Amino acid sequence: MKRIFVDEERCLGCRSCEIACAIKHSHSNKLEKAIREQPLPISRIRVRKDENNAIPLQCRHCPEPSCVYACIAGGIRKDEKTGLVVFEEKKCVRCYSCVMVCPFAVIKLGKEEQPAVKCDLCQEEEIPPCVRACPTGALFFGEAEEFQELMEKRRKRGEKDALLNTG
Amino acid sequence: MRKMHYLILGNCAAGLNGIEGIRSLDKKGEITLISAESYPAYARCLITNFLIGTHSEEDLYLREKDFYQKNGVKVLPGKKAVRIFPKEKKVETEEGKKIPYDALLIATGASPKALMVKGEEKKGVFGFRTLEDAKQILKRAEKAEKALVFGGGLIGLKAGYALKKKGLAVEVIVKSPRVLSRVVEENSSRLIAKWLQEKGIKIRTGLAAREILGDKEMSGVLLDNGEEVKAQIAIVGKGVSPNLSFTEGSGINTHWGIVADNYLRTNFQEIFVAGDVAETKDLVTGERTINALWLAAQEQGKTAGINMAGGEKAYPGSIGANAAEFFGLPFISMGCLQARNGEIIRERKEEKKFIYRRLVFKEGRLIGAVLVGKVEAAGIYMALIRKKERVENLMDELLEGWIDYGKFEKILEGENGFRETVTPDGRLIKLP
Repeated sequence: MKRIFVDEERCLGCRSCEIACAIKHSHSNKLEKAIREQPLPISRIRVRKDENNAIPLQCRHCPEPSCVYACIAGGIRKDEKTGLVVFEEKKCVRCYSCVMVCPFAVIKLGKEEQPAVKCDLCQEEEIPPCVRACPTGALFFGEAEEFQELMEKRRKRGEKDALLNTG
Repeated sequence: MRKMHYLILGNCAAGLNGIEGIRSLDKKGEITLISAESYPAYARCLITNFLIGTHSEEDLYLREKDFYQKNGVKVLPGKKAVRIFPKEKKVETEEGKKIPYDALLIATGASPKALMVKGEEKKGVFGFRTLEDAKQILKRAEKAEKALVFGGGLIGLKAGYALKKKGLAVEVIVKSPRVLSRVVEENSSRLIAKWLQEKGIKIRTGLAAREILGDKEMSGVLLDNGEEVKAQIAIVGKGVSPNLSFTEGSGINTHWGIVADNYLRTNFQEIFVAGDVAETKDLVTGERTINALWLAAQEQGKTAGINMAGGEKAYPGSIGANAAEFFGLPFISMGCLQARNGEIIRERKEEKKFIYRRLVFKEGRLIGAVLVGKVEAAGIYMALIRKKERVENLMDELLEGWIDYGKFEKILEGENGFRETVTPDGRLIKLP
């Protein structure tokens, strides 16, 4: 299945992906309006950052997701056809069981009555807005093999650049 | 191959996942399901929400209406198994009917323990386990003013929480010195109790019921300190015991529950067990125990179902873990939380903000965690506990809630069924 992959070395931690995701999941789909919405729209992707590293994280749509077993409301399923892990947000009772078991810690709960949310891979978009928003190409949307090819290319080019610099 | 006949006892998390486990390998075999309750499988934990009124009965149903029909399951609702004959491969029901099977799944769950006091049979005393319980409580709550909850575990607190939300005065009576004594350690327990009290739920420790007072209907409770408390509802939350009386004389091994091996088989080749009635290995302590939890029941049911249909899926063991939210304060606990023998405890407290985090390490591995208030990182801890990974160099990072993802991803390789990963230098690694 097509997934979001990350070239960690290219992530600068600018959080453009977070903003794009929050706008996409807002009511208005417009930045200037989204920032005034109550409650604020929640980004499903989150950039983790320390002094040396940054990496954007979001739902990996696990082949055998433990959140499906954990949900006490029967609100999470693995779609056999698309491979997506689907959250039925209206079923959420905020019990935090999915948060308890997600090994990537990418499920978020907003305030009070809001349901748990996570990356849905923006089905109606050709390329998810977070990937489009990334200014450095750190995010990639596609099959694992395609990402492998891209990384291979980048690695070769990187070696060439390094040679030119030292030469 | 001859058509298999599968028989499932129980129609909750374990039984339901048993059906799906079987059907993932065998589309043709016949499945019969015996269910003590007459509802389609419903989200048992959500009877709290049903009681509060945010969820209707239909909202609790776990699958689409045509689920049983689509999966070719013959359901016998409102029936109970009373005896098993493993040699004849037959199960006898209450009305004396014998149902044959090629593979049997016991997923009969558990029932609330009784209070064991005089007057317990009076109207107004309830367990909090089934949709029927919730319906009866709801009816009575309409004209009740006060409820007493006996037991400070999750079930008792959830029932108390729901009744408080319905506008009743609620008093939780706990025999032990603190609430949630089997779920979290002292610090978290104190924080959560303080939070609940601030929200109007009264908690009294070191007390128990001596007698339920009233005529046919309860009017109050006599406590063991001699005090009489007026109340129209009493909820009994003293834990559950597995439903296994029908295995008596069958030769099926029982101990705390029905003893399961690593494939969720009993001591009979074609009899499997899953859910609150199953005794499995605890992943953290290695001891045999019943972790009567939704997560465990679903995982076990699915695994047992697969193995009944000829698969060979090992069950790694269960882990004691709970998550809940009361009045907006979430908490999650998992594994071992006490220092008994050389464990290292790392903790962080912000009591005024109702935030607490505690990690327990043993021999370089994480074996337990509890989080109150800020719980987002919990799943990372769960994964590390399950994988038994050595993390002695990461203890401080872990306490912060996040670790270097590069290190972490290595640790998680293969977790949740991932069979491939792309490394930062562009290599696609296929995992075995």
